[in-house]
Amino acid sequence: MKISRKWIEQLVDLNGVSDQDIATRLTMAGIEVESFENLSEKYNGFVVGSVMEVVKHPNADKLRLCQVDIAGEIKSIICGAPNVSAGQKVPVGLVGALVPHDQHDPDGKPFQLTRAKIRGIESEGMICSEYELALGDDKNGIMVFEEDAPTGKPLAEYLGMDDTIFEVSLTPNRADCLSHLGIARELSSAFSRKLNPKKPSLHETGEPIAKAAKVEVSDPELCPRYSARVVKGIKIGRSPRWLRVAVEKAGMRSINNVVDATNYVMLELGQPLHAFDLNLIEGHKIIVRRPHESEMKFATLDGKERALSSDMLMICDKDSTIAIAGVMGGANSEINPVTTDILIESANFSPSSVRRTSKKLGLSTEASYRFERGVDPNLTLAALDRVTEIIVQTGGGTVAQGVIDIASTKFAPRRIELHVDQVNRLLGTRLASGEIRRLLESIEIHCDKKSETIFVCFAPTFRGDLEREVDLIEEVGRLYGYEKIEEQHQTRLVFDTRFKETNNTEDLKGYLAGSGFNEIVTNSLQPTDVAGFHSESFVKIANPISEDMASLRTSLLPGALQVVKLNLSYGLKDLKLFEMGRIYSSNGGSNGESFAETEMLSILLTGSADPISFDRNGSEFDIFDLKTEVERLLKHLNLDNWDFIPYDSTREYKQVLKLFMNGSEVGILGQVSETALDKFSIKQGVYFAELNLAEILSARKKTNKFHPLPKFPFASFDLAFIVDSSTPVGSLINSLKSLAGNLFRDIYVFDIYSGSGIPEGKISVAFSVILGSDERTLNDGDIARFIENAESKLAKEFAAALRKQSTK
Amino acid sequence: MGMLEEIEKLKEEATASLAHIKTPDDAENFRLKFLSRRGSLAQLFEEMKQIPKEEKPGIGKLLNEVRTQLESEFESAREKSESEKKRELGRIDLSIPGRKRYIGRKHPLTQTAEEIKRIFTSIGFGTADGPEIEDDYHNFEALNFPPDHPARDMQDTFFVKPVQTKEGNETGKYVLRTHTSGVQIRVMENNKPPVRVIMPGRVYRNEAISSRSYCLFHQVEGLYVDKNVSLAELKGTITYFAKEFFGSGVKLRFRPSFFPFTEPSAEVDVNCFICSGKGCRICKYTGWLEIMGCGMVDPNVFKFVGYDEKEVSGYAFGMGIERITLLKYGIDDIRLFFENDVRFLNQF
Ligand SMILES: [Zn+2]
Repeated sequence: MKISRKWIEQLVDLNGVSDQDIATRLTMAGIEVESFENLSEKYNGFVVGSVMEVVKHPNADKLRLCQVDIAGEIKSIICGAPNVSAGQKVPVGLVGALVPHDQHDPDGKPFQLTRAKIRGIESEGMICSEYELALGDDKNGIMVFEEDAPTGKPLAEYLGMDDTIFEVSLTPNRADCLSHLGIARELSSAFSRKLNPKKPSLHETGEPIAKAAKVEVSDPELCPRYSARVVKGIKIGRSPRWLRVAVEKAGMRSINNVVDATNYVMLELGQPLHAFDLNLIEGHKIIVRRPHESEMKFATLDGKERALSSDMLMICDKDSTIAIAGVMGGANSEINPVTTDILIESANFSPSSVRRTSKKLGLSTEASYRFERGVDPNLTLAALDRVTEIIVQTGGGTVAQGVIDIASTKFAPRRIELHVDQVNRLLGTRLASGEIRRLLESIEIHCDKKSETIFVCFAPTFRGDLEREVDLIEEVGRLYGYEKIEEQHQTRLVFDTRFKETNNTEDLKGYLAGSGFNEIVTNSLQPTDVAGFHSESFVKIANPISEDMASLRTSLLPGALQVVKLNLSYGLKDLKLFEMGRIYSSNGGSNGESFAETEMLSILLTGSADPISFDRNGSEFDIFDLKTEVERLLKHLNLDNWDFIPYDSTREYKQVLKLFMNGSEVGILGQVSETALDKFSIKQGVYFAELNLAEILSARKKTNKFHPLPKFPFASFDLAFIVDSSTPVGSLINSLKSLAGNLFRDIYVFDIYSGSGIPEGKISVAFSVILGSDERTLNDGDIARFIENAESKLAKEFAAALRKQSTK
Repeated sequence: MGMLEEIEKLKEEATASLAHIKTPDDAENFRLKFLSRRGSLAQLFEEMKQIPKEEKPGIGKLLNEVRTQLESEFESAREKSESEKKRELGRIDLSIPGRKRYIGRKHPLTQTAEEIKRIFTSIGFGTADGPEIEDDYHNFEALNFPPDHPARDMQDTFFVKPVQTKEGNETGKYVLRTHTSGVQIRVMENNKPPVRVIMPGRVYRNEAISSRSYCLFHQVEGLYVDKNVSLAELKGTITYFAKEFFGSGVKLRFRPSFFPFTEPSAEVDVNCFICSGKGCRICKYTGWLEIMGCGMVDPNVFKFVGYDEKEVSGYAFGMGIERITLLKYGIDDIRLFFENDVRFLNQF
């Protein structure tokens, strides 16, 4: 909202207070000033000039040489405008002034006036057009002012631009500040200056209002108050400069004297007003009601047809709807150039009703914005008087005697008890009761003493947001100044197991980063087809920003591939990435929830396993690099019991392993399929693991007990078998493990070989086996016996042949 | 071939091989071939089991002598090979860079979130978590956002399409949470006071994506409810946090504001560390940067969760991790966080 300093100064004396002071004090009182601009700086070096004489330029047909009086000095100015003539009052830019728009520049850039010779004659300034002064679009000639414009007056002052405009951002609770009066009230409190509201004077010389118009409110719940005045015989026209400038400085468009007057009073007092052409109100009677079945279409004065619904409140005449209450008037009753008699509506409408209507219509106006937030129900009459005064002043006419005022109830200040000790308990202050009273009364909250420590306070009706004691406490804190409240520190330390974090990921993230993985954070909103690719039960957004973000992700894979795609586009092809984040399902599962969210961990490898170095050839990542990373991760978490089970390829993966822990599936890893990669135009192999983080973390042992170190050394030896190339190495390992029984300590595969010396269709698999015993040192005989048994066991189970001499 | 000849042959072969040991690898190959448990020498010892008893002492002695000799010669050849290697190293060009390896980092948002968490944990805050797909009650109503109230306009909301449940009913009104404040309600619903927790998490806003806003971001909220918690104490806690996070020179400003779920409410600004308060583009020429919202828990919220406002009072605060990270590093585009260009990630 734009607030004019000049306007405020009509309501409260701010002599000696700087713009910066105003901005700071408002902000610190909870009325945030986002910025402020001193408009007069824009017109430094411009004055009102009086054209004394105009002659043709001796050396140019289209130019005129003007003698312009700027009070005390006559300037010789060359002007090319066709409309310049002696006797005019005009805007004059003097040498050094910055002209806001250059008429000859396609972008209208500003330029600085210099002393210049034009066709041999010096020009000491410039007479400007509306466009050049950024006051309008007219480029066709110079601006001409009223005859009584004072010669020599600084232009800003004459135009009413000797002003500072504050851009104020209001929180939704402060409806009372949606006006200059509201802001002035805050400033009167902040600077301890008296507030001087305007007292309009009216001459009611017309007929009694009851003869001119009638009002009936048939829905008092949605319209607690409806007040109106009638003025007849007015002349509709352009508003005087002061009114136009005031409305425009506040960011609204000037329409005509009546509409501008209603907007002006709304900006001044906060009461939205609407003027109807009285002669377009059928039967001269206003009925406030909801629309009938047959009235579901309505043309608003912006020229659009609106679809109504039966819960909206309408202003109607005898026959039909003429305005949407509190939102916008209708084209059928609006003020037009031939209007002479008007009815001015000053009403109060239910905030939630106006809000619902405005939302449904997708139509927010200055009026609806204020009604939604709550307008003082006791403001209707004061606003009527003020607007009537201005209308008569600018358009003439006769004011009907009296006002129409239909109110469902008396609107009294709200009575709230305030306990001094509650104030100090909540704020952490030690304010005395007198101080509290002084603060509240500075913003017109009257306080009666009920006892030494209790006040009965009366919140004025313009502060509808003050309903409870705590609301008053906030006012006390705000007016006292948050900056004066001294910091206190909590000293009580409590150990609370209820809020101990069980699934802390800090260490795991550190581990992964240390292992060379970059952490990524990706969007959980995805296109519907992508979410649907990975799961059927996915969550859809009812009002997405775009189709690209219409559903919640069901896998971390697409987001990660998007990251690969982006980095590849910069030529970064070697990537190790991880992400921790949720996936979402519309299948809430067993615990009765509608939706499920699962914390996942993903790992991605692509590109070179060994990035370039001077002596080693980089090989590309493969599925075993991925398996290695997953195994390292599980070991890092002190897990010791898991199984990888190979699966058939899926839509997402072509080599797939599923990870099982304690019988349940907790993850999947594999080489990403071409189908999945094609969606991101990725041409290189990508290896991806997606693990259920919550389950993996919860599978960690709660306590880890120390195992005594072995007393006897382990025996380590190698052995190799020749088997059918289709034999799973994992099965061989399991078989050897079970054979070793409780002597088993560890086993590695150190060579898999086929080719020379190995029969066609066979492979040689070499193992390093480590055995140990808790009771004794194993001897050569134990080893020999193990090898002998292994030979016969594997021969039986896999038709494996022991290679007699293995080399390492 | 007799045993004696075999021994002699082995000795010759081994001595010849010894002369060729140049590198530690050669030495290891020699050891495997001749001296290991499966080496030629061990095999000869094995074969000795089969010779007539009377020959055993002589041959055994010979074998042992050969072994001792080979072992000691091997030992000196091995040592020599090691020192060869060291001398060779001296000739290597050490200006060659080390081998390139992957360097990983935590995401800058994680780094900020962990730092915030560390500070609050150190002064007694626990942590709590809740769903991102939140019902209207927890995201709005219980936080004192009445239906049809303009306060709901403060947050542009994504609504979730209802789905059929197993029982055939439609799910109620769900949204993607617009703040983590719903977790405050869940914490108080399920725990008696005192409670003191921070609540980090992902939240969503239905706003056009630009350099200044994204459809989601991350928050850390805090909540402390106990007997006699005051605004003064809230100021103390936030000031402590700001000094830990931004440095002890930081200046803070608490100014009144409005949130439906706190009363009184405040916005917290820190002095702009880019222009040190003189005014610049980042701080919109005010000299201050807004970093969080906070306030005293509104009594209506206590009513919703069944706390007695006469018994307890509390404060809540919330800050955006993206915003604080942007400010801390002077990053000018929020989208960089979610693009994950590794050249960006590697800077933090
Ligand atoms: Zn700055």
